[in-house]
Amino acid sequence: MAILEEPVKGIKEVKNYINGEWVDSKGKIVDVVNPATGKVIGKCPISTKEEIDAAVAAAKAAYPEWRRTTPLARSRYVFRFKQLLEENFEELSRIQTMEHGKCIDESRGETRRGIENVEVACGTPTLMQGYYSEDIASSIDEWVIPTPLGVFGIIGPFNFPFMIPLWSAPYAVATGNTVVIKPSSEVPLSQTSIAELAEEAGFPPGVYNVVNGGRTVVNGMLEHKDIVGITFVGSTPTGRDVIYKKCGETGKRVIAQCGAKNFIVIMPDCNVQATIAAMMTSFFGNAGQRCLSGANLLIVGDDDKFYKDFLGQVVDMTSKIKVGYGLDEAVQMGPVRDKDKKANILQYIESGIKEGAKLILDGRKPKILGDYPDTCFLNPTIFENVSPKMKIGAEEIFGPVMSVMRAKNLEQAVEICNANPFGNGDAIFTQSGRDARYFLYNVESGNVGINIGIVAPMAFFPFSGMKDSFYGVLHTQGKEAVRFFTESKVVIQRWF
Amino acid sequence: MEINTCSGAISLTKELENESAKVYQELAQKFEKDKDLFLAFAKENGKFYSQVERAYYGVITDAMEGCFAFHLNPEDYQFKKTLSNDISLSNAVAEALKMEETMLRFCQIAAEQSKHLMADVPRAFSLVAKKRNERLAKLKALLEQAK
Repeated sequence: MAILEEPVKGIKEVKNYINGEWVDSKGKIVDVVNPATGKVIGKCPISTKEEIDAAVAAAKAAYPEWRRTTPLARSRYVFRFKQLLEENFEELSRIQTMEHGKCIDESRGETRRGIENVEVACGTPTLMQGYYSEDIASSIDEWVIPTPLGVFGIIGPFNFPFMIPLWSAPYAVATGNTVVIKPSSEVPLSQTSIAELAEEAGFPPGVYNVVNGGRTVVNGMLEHKDIVGITFVGSTPTGRDVIYKKCGETGKRVIAQCGAKNFIVIMPDCNVQATIAAMMTSFFGNAGQRCLSGANLLIVGDDDKFYKDFLGQVVDMTSKIKVGYGLDEAVQMGPVRDKDKKANILQYIESGIKEGAKLILDGRKPKILGDYPDTCFLNPTIFENVSPKMKIGAEEIFGPVMSVMRAKNLEQAVEICNANPFGNGDAIFTQSGRDARYFLYNVESGNVGINIGIVAPMAFFPFSGMKDSFYGVLHTQGKEAVRFFTESKVVIQRWF
Repeated sequence: MEINTCSGAISLTKELENESAKVYQELAQKFEKDKDLFLAFAKENGKFYSQVERAYYGVITDAMEGCFAFHLNPEDYQFKKTLSNDISLSNAVAEALKMEETMLRFCQIAAEQSKHLMADVPRAFSLVAKKRNERLAKLKALLEQAK
């Protein structure tokens, strides 16, 4: 089968995009490495405090005029932006595979989901309309005007280098704000490409800015008095203890989407064939590096025959997953992002063995399709007899590891799900409406799946999250994003 | 190697449609009288592929089972790609019929396999299968005339 052509030739020098200009950073430069091939495909700057300050200053300066631009005119910029993303769909997708490792279907899926947010933001003239009440008292009227706020910071993670900043940025600019985006320095190429298209779409200088880097940039955003709000996707310790806390201290509004440990609950009446296919994507898609990945497979009931048959089929199908370079169309699972992440996953596997879980599929010595270094590759791993208290049953591994548990009944299964501190994306597989409703009603999870393994909300729904998976009030995407990026100005009017 | 991914299935669709179009182009060169019909079929193959590709790019999502949707063996969908120089019209049309039956089977199986996993993609394959059925009837009529 074909290995698709790489769109990034040689080494791309990543620059910052500030005030409509591509500028070199004075910070140190780090390599961007294709995790499948091990080749350096880019050089990314770790920008300085002065550079983030310059971007915020540009965004602040651009804000008044951008705010005065009519919502319809702003949405036309966004619409042009969407058209350009569509025209470059395939190249943008292949870049994701090159810098992150995910396979091409997954990258195209990410591109589609990112563009869907831009599409929804095109409807902002309607989405940000206020509301009006006549005669709240005699001859007095009252109404709400959603108004933009100023400069927002958007901090992206490594696992969805294209899509996740688009959960926020299009809504922010369409509602009249200006943005500074900080992509992960491990995967900066997608956001560079997006910024090139934002430039081509004609956004005025300063409206859309990208500053590459690490902690200095993040801290620069968090402490900057001219940044009014932050959206963040990343780990729980950073989201809770740094982003959420600091935004509280500095009076910024915040969306902090954090870690997860998702349970996939299997009822004995599930459609086995369809469920097992869904398990493959849920647990091993994106090499398990997503906050909506299945992590714990919780099989319900005391029917040992069902348990053995179901798990046997899961193991059989999992063992056939083709692992390799994501631009090879045959590949179903790519590498993890880098060798440190692989080492972390290996530590979890070791801890599972030490804590007494039964390793029934060992992915530590990867079989790879094609001739690639195994630096970042793993095959899928499955543990049986996992307890919710073991590290592999409790903590986010962020890798292709399935921990299998059992519950006597659905009630106990829900208790096990809810005892975990995370609450991002739990799902049930069943054909019983009663059981599905019980699960939906009782499970403490921001996103709930019924016969869906990856509970990823569409762009016109909020990307929810509960407990340690989310800090904030409003969420990214759709109407909630519009609400987050606007303040309600309430007017009460009387004429004498 | 078995194809499991959507990307692989879409590429196989393209390959089969292109190869089938080349057969029709060859038929058009060989048989002047029925040239228009064969060229129309060749052109339609491009539309078939575009239809499936458009559906795929429109609905592909990382949240569905895109890498696990298919179980297609490309060997099962091979057909004769070149015709001998002195082939008669009836034999040539008989070969085209065999090719269309293979392509029809491919479209039906691809539609079936993707049914629960890829919204709209099975519909695109089914629409192409329907058109292929109509094409089969035309080819059968031509075969009768040629005998």
